[in-house]
Formats: sequence, structure tokens, C-alpha cells
Amino acid sequence: MWKTILRRLLIMIPELVILSILVFLLAKAMPGDPFTGTINPRASQAQIHHLMVIHGLYDPWYQQYWNWVVHLFHGNLGISYEYQEPVIDLIKQRGTNTLWLALFTMALTYVIGLPLGIYAGRHEGKLQDTLVRIYTYVTMSIPFFVVLVIGIWVFGYTLNWFPTSGSISSQASGFGGSLISRLGHIILPGLLGALFGTVNIVQYLRSEVIDAKHSDYVRTARAKGVPMKDIYRHHIFRNSLLPIAAFAGYSITGLLGGSIFTEMVFSYPGMGLLFLNAINFRDYTVITALVLLYGFLNLMGTLLSDIALSIVDPRVRVE
Amino acid sequence: MSKKKWLMAGLVGLSALTLAACGNNKSSNSGTTKHVSMPETYSGSGKATTAGNNSTLRVAEVNDAPFAGISSPTLLTNAEDSDVFSPGGGDSLFNVTKNYKIIDGGLANLRLNRKAKTATITLRKNARWSNGAKVTAKDIEYPYEIIGNKKTASQQYSSDYAAIKGMAAYHAGKAKTISGITYPDGQKGRTATIHYTRMSPSMQYLGSSFLWQTVEPYEYYGKTPISKLAASPKVRKNPIFTGPYKLDKIVQGESTSWSPNSYYYGKKAQIKHITIQVVSSNNIVAAFKSKKYDFANGQQNIVMPSSQYPKLKTLKDYAEVGTPSMNYSYFGFNLGQMNTKTGLNEMNKNAKMANKNLRKAMMYAIDINQVSKKFGNGLTWRANVLIPPVFKNVYNSKAAGFPYNMKKAKSLLNKAGYKKHGKWRTDPKGKKLIIHFGAMQSSSATEATYQYYVQQWHKLGLNVKYTTGKPMEMNSFYSTIQKPKQDAIDIWNAAWSTSSEPTPTQIYGADAPYNYGHFATKKNTQLLNSLNNEKAWNAKYRAQQFKKWQQYMNDQAAYAPEEFNLSWTPVNTRVKGYSVTTEGTNEFWSNLSLTATNPK
Repeated sequence: MWKTILRRLLIMIPELVILSILVFLLAKAMPGDPFTGTINPRASQAQIHHLMVIHGLYDPWYQQYWNWVVHLFHGNLGISYEYQEPVIDLIKQRGTNTLWLALFTMALTYVIGLPLGIYAGRHEGKLQDTLVRIYTYVTMSIPFFVVLVIGIWVFGYTLNWFPTSGSISSQASGFGGSLISRLGHIILPGLLGALFGTVNIVQYLRSEVIDAKHSDYVRTARAKGVPMKDIYRHHIFRNSLLPIAAFAGYSITGLLGGSIFTEMVFSYPGMGLLFLNAINFRDYTVITALVLLYGFLNLMGTLLSDIALSIVDPRVRVE
Repeated sequence: MSKKKWLMAGLVGLSALTLAACGNNKSSNSGTTKHVSMPETYSGSGKATTAGNNSTLRVAEVNDAPFAGISSPTLLTNAEDSDVFSPGGGDSLFNVTKNYKIIDGGLANLRLNRKAKTATITLRKNARWSNGAKVTAKDIEYPYEIIGNKKTASQQYSSDYAAIKGMAAYHAGKAKTISGITYPDGQKGRTATIHYTRMSPSMQYLGSSFLWQTVEPYEYYGKTPISKLAASPKVRKNPIFTGPYKLDKIVQGESTSWSPNSYYYGKKAQIKHITIQVVSSNNIVAAFKSKKYDFANGQQNIVMPSSQYPKLKTLKDYAEVGTPSMNYSYFGFNLGQMNTKTGLNEMNKNAKMANKNLRKAMMYAIDINQVSKKFGNGLTWRANVLIPPVFKNVYNSKAAGFPYNMKKAKSLLNKAGYKKHGKWRTDPKGKKLIIHFGAMQSSSATEATYQYYVQQWHKLGLNVKYTTGKPMEMNSFYSTIQKPKQDAIDIWNAAWSTSSEPTPTQIYGADAPYNYGHFATKKNTQLLNSLNNEKAWNAKYRAQQFKKWQQYMNDQAAYAPEEFNLSWTPVNTRVKGYSVTTEGTNEFWSNLSLTATNPK
């Protein structure tokens, strides 16, 4: 298994190189440059030219690419044109915010989704099952941004229970104060994200539980007189987790993706908005850094999922 | 997308004519220049209380993205950064009148000597940074070093700075210092003198392209190289200021909080805490309805969506305060090309839009008053000239502009020989005429007005089509019209935001790269030069020439004004001393006081 993991990691290198070249070319192919529409008319043509030169924007793409790679190996992802600070710092700031929110949302999603899925599966066809299914259908069919807007309006602005903007209060001080303030800011978006994001978990788990209920090993266990509670806990639950484990890797690496809708509605500075704005503003350094990061995370996600699967299901072996 | 809602530094909305690439908000009444009238100042009833002043003033910065967080006025590149650091006073050097004329009484006084060609800036005796350090003559000079440095990220270097002796050599990296800036009483003294090769009457006004209007803390920056300033913690995390407030805390991209600066030379701040927080434009109505904020930030450049006005004007505990903004939207026509060898714009006699009657007809055919009424809620109105009315002394209120007149439009075209053959008109030579309209993707209201314009032109018999078939993405749009020569766009709609000194040479001059329509006539050059020639030191003459130029531009219709708008915000009734006028803007924040501990 270790060999396989190593091999997979090695294959990632050419994959990432190709990805980075593609991204580099596509980013440059977009109309405009980082200074389009931003330089004020007081700046002379010569000054614009000068700025393009010092940023190396007139160099041929392979030279720009090479410079970028060299810097990358020095741990330098470049300076953002828009924010005028190192891309690494920018990703650290935004990434931290996004991680907080994403971890919280993911934990809540599992806390809500797992019991509901098992519950629905166990009571297949009964009223309880119908209720759970209605819940998942309703939450799946409402566009998420609508949920966010209604949520912030009701709980943020009308009832005043939660803060409505940012990731931390400007008055929060000290470790404890900051922590509480941060949590306060992610509860509402996190809760909405979790309540309206459980459909996959619930439905997969439910159908797996139903399948397992009718399988031979369950029937055997029941025939031997094992209590239902134990059958669920030891046999059905573990087997039903397979498809969810297959997602787990992606879920973990997807944490850094950020959510554009949530970040916009809650004015929450995260990775989603950073990526969107970088594209709009032609912030090349940020675009390439983020795409590469996401590419890497996706490849890692696949690997992690495979590993997770092999842990949950001893029959599956990564070879 | 509000990236490019641009204006530079500081309270007074200093410096630089700027591209307002997206902020083309539609929002007026019929008639030429009627619109909602709002007071420019507001003071809530009742007395300010100690408890009120000890509480926190909550200010909203309306923006859909996190702010970049650069506090230095020479390095920041967008209005949001300037706004969120404004309680620090924007490090502004000068006090100004309503017309942005520099007068005594600010951090420093200015003396212009036309004979010796010098500008002498003398700091007041008690000029201090918020960390207690003295503001020095070097601090006056340092912005010029930052702007002119070869490795700088600053986007402020204008060709007019070359009029400072030694600046060109410094800018080219040939000299280590700017020889034309001297310190009569030493670097740590109070006076800096700038020696010019030529003087301009525009220097008397804040935001001219010759004279920078802020200080930078040279000592405090220490050995941070200029190329790394923008990323340094001294600019981003712990900046110091010269204004009424000092920065307590910044949450990157989200908020800033402030407390009084005990070293401030002017009127002492009354409110003990201020927080400025980014709020998305989608949430701003709900935020005001639930009384989360006292007002929206930005003085002359507030970005409140006009579509929200009807929902906000009925709010009980808020009063609407506003002033004409420094923005205007316009139509441009493609008339030629930029000669890349000479750097001069050249008009082409055979250009599709070369006939000024065609251009005028297109303008008379659209009813901008109706557009303003429908989408602007009385906050925008038809513009009559290319200088916003906020510049009362030079704005030509008498020019008619292009009021809707379809009959006139048709007769102009008929007389000019654009005859109808079938559905569409042909050019005077009888050739097919298709006009390409370049417009930028925007709000649904703005895109609806594009649709209306096209429809009106069709009624006129002109075959107008969108370039690329639909409104263009902002970057594509600008990279198209910025080309020295292009024929994809014949007419376009965009907006400019002016600086507090409105000389338009950098946009409409013969050598201006931003003269995207390549309009260049002798008369235009003559008029533009007259705005800042020797005679123009006489303010009356200068105003007169400004007005003549505006009328001339309307006669030529190479660029046609579209809309003016109000910069406005609701102000909570607990706030006293709020004012959006330029007078006393140094004191904007210290004039404020509160009558209650929370927004009422």
C-alpha cells in the first residue's frame, strides 16, 4: 500500500506541472491585464508602461512561467497586484477564515446527517422516513443563496441574534474574546450550510442502511438472536459508511474551497471571494496560486478517499 | 463588482481623475437638472451626551468585497482603502474652501511664488503623528520619493511631476534624491520648498497633478524599502496618522476601529470610539432598517445604491444627507486613432462617426430624463456638461446639453444626408451604416437602459448593434477601447470620477491616452491650455474658460454627458454635526457627536 501511495504522489508532479502551464496560459489569454481600468488618468502612458515592465508583464509567457516556477521553489508565490501583498499572506488570512467556517459546517453536517440517514433507513416507509425525506428534498430544492439571504434577514437583522458581517468583531480582544467572537460569526452561516447541505449524506446512508437490512449477514445475526441495537451499531452502520467514506477525502481537501454565496452575503472574507475577485481583476499571481492549490488538494482528496475507503472496508485494497 | 469605483486618498477625495469603470449607477426627475434635493449637513435634535460620546459610532463601508488594507495615500489604489482609514485624516496637508482651493489652517500652509517658481509648504508648529513624533519637512518630501521611485508600486506618477526639478532624473533612477525639493531649515524642520520648471494655476487647488497633498511618516517607516512599503506592517497593521483619530485595530478586509488622537492639532474628537465595517450592497438596506449603522462612509464618494433610496427614505430614525458627487457618466465616439510614434491623438475625417450631426442626433434621440426618473429615483439626473456640478465655480449650469428631441434628431440626420433606405439609414454616400455600441456589463437597471438607448436609435433609423452582441465584460471593454486604433466600438457608455481639481486635460487632451475617442482639435487644445495658462491665475478668467470649454465640447459632441448623481447616505438621528460639504473636511470626524448610546 505504501508503494501505491508513493507512486500516486509521484504521478502528481507531472499532473501539477501541466495544470500550472494550462492555468498560466489561460490566465494570460483573458482580455485585459492587472492594470486595466484601474490606473488613474493622471498616470502617464510611460508610467503604465513602466509598471508593466517592472512586473514583467511584457515578457514572453515561458519566461514569466519560468520566473514564477523559480520563485515558487523559494516559497514565493509572488505579490498580488490587487492587494499589493504576498499571495502567501493573503491565502493565510483568507484560508484561516475559510477553514474555521468550513470545519464548523462540515462537523455540523455530519452531526445532523449521519443520525438522520440511519434513522430514515431504519424506519423505511414509515412516517419518520417520509418526514426525513421531505426535509432533504425541501432543503435540496431551495437555492442556497435564497436560504442565506432569508437567514441573515431573519436571524441577523430582524431578531438580532447573530452578527451580520465579517469574521470577527473589531472589539474582540484576548484569546478567549476572539475565539468567542469568531464562533459567533460562523454559527449562522455554518448552521444554514449544514441544515441545507445534508441531502447527500442522508440519502446515501439511508439507501445503504436499507440495502444492508436485507442482506444475509444481518438476517443471520438476527437469527442468532443478536439485539437489533447491536446489529445496527456493529454491522449495518459500518458497512453503510462506505460511500460516505469515499467522499471524505474530498470533503477534507475541499474545506479550503470557500463558498462564494456565503462569503458575499455575510461579507465574510474567505477563499471563494478571493478567487472570484482575482479572476475579475486579472490578479494573475493569485489566480495561478489558487488554481494550483486547488489542483493539488483535489489530487490529494482522491488519494485520501481511497485510503479512507480501504480503512473502512478491508475488502478494498489500494494496490 | 466595485473594484474600480475609484478615487484617491483622503477625506477630501483628493487627487486624480479616475476611472469609474463600473459604478455607472442609474438613478432623476424630468427637467434639465432637477433632482431630489438633500441637505448637505445634518444635526440630530437634542444635546450630545457623555454616555453617547463614550459609545461607538458605527459606520458602514458599502462594498461587495473585502478591502485591500493599504493605509498610505500614495500607495492605495481604491476608494475603499481611502474610506476605511479616513478617521486618520488621510494625512491631508491642507485646509480647503468649498471649491477645493487651498487655504491656511490645515496641517501645513502653502505659499506659491510664481516668480521664483516655487511652492513652499510650512507645517504648523504642533504638527504631530499619532505616535507623538513630530511631522517633519522630510515627511512632506517622502511622498514624492514614493511616487517617483523606480521600483514603486504607486500608480500616482503623472507626467506633470516632471515639472519638479530633478524629478525626472530621480524617476529614471539616475539620482538618489529629488534635487528640486529643499529644506530651508533642515530635514527635521518645518518647511519644504519645491522648485518647478513651470507653474500652473491648478496648484492652488487640492488634487492637482503638480502638487501632492499628503504626508508620509519617513522616520516611522525606517528602513523599509519603498518597493516593500505596501506590504509592510507599518502600512497595513499599525499605521500612524495626523488626523483626529488614531487606529486601534484593523481586521484585514473587514473593519477598522478608532479612538481619539491626542496629538491632533485641530478640534478634539468628541466620540470615543469609531468602527468602520464593510457591508455588502445587498445587505445595506436591511442593515439600516435594523439600525446597525449610523451612516455610510465616503463623504463625496458614498456608494449607496440609488435603487435602495425609496426603501430608505421612509426610515423614521434616519435623515437623508447628500451632495452632488464627483462622478459623471458619458458617451464617447470613436473618431480616429492614437499615433503611437508621436503620442498624439489624430482624428480621421473618414471615421464612421466623424459627422458631428450624426453624434448629436444620437444624443437628442435618447431621453435621459426618463431613464433617470425610471431607474434613478431622483438621485441621478441628465448631465448637461462634462464637469460635475459639485465644482460650483467652474460648472457651466447654462449649457443645455442634449435634452430629448426626436424631431430635431431626425432633421439633423436628414440634413446631414443620412437618408432612410428601407428600415435603416445609410451614410451620406449611400453605404450601409452599422454602428457598434460598446457597453459594460452592469446591474440589470443599467443594462435595461442600454437596451432603451439601442431601441431609441433604432427608432431614429440607425442600425445600432452591441459590440460582441451583448454588454461586454469590463476588462474586455477597456482593453478594446485602450488600443491605439480600434474599430470594434463606435460609441460607448462609461463613467469618470474626477479629482478635487477638475482640469480635464488628462482625459480629453490631444496627448491623453485616456482620450479613447481620439478627439483632437486646435480649438480644444487651445481651450484646455487656457485653463492653466498665465492668465488663469485670475480665478474669474479661469472659470470663464472652463465654461467655454464645456460649451465647446457640447458643440462638438465628441463626448456627450449622460448623468450626474448624488452622493448620499441616511444619517441616524443620534448623530450631530454631520456634513458632506468640503468646507472643514479636516474636521469631519471631530465635528461629530452623539446624543444616545445606540443608533435610535
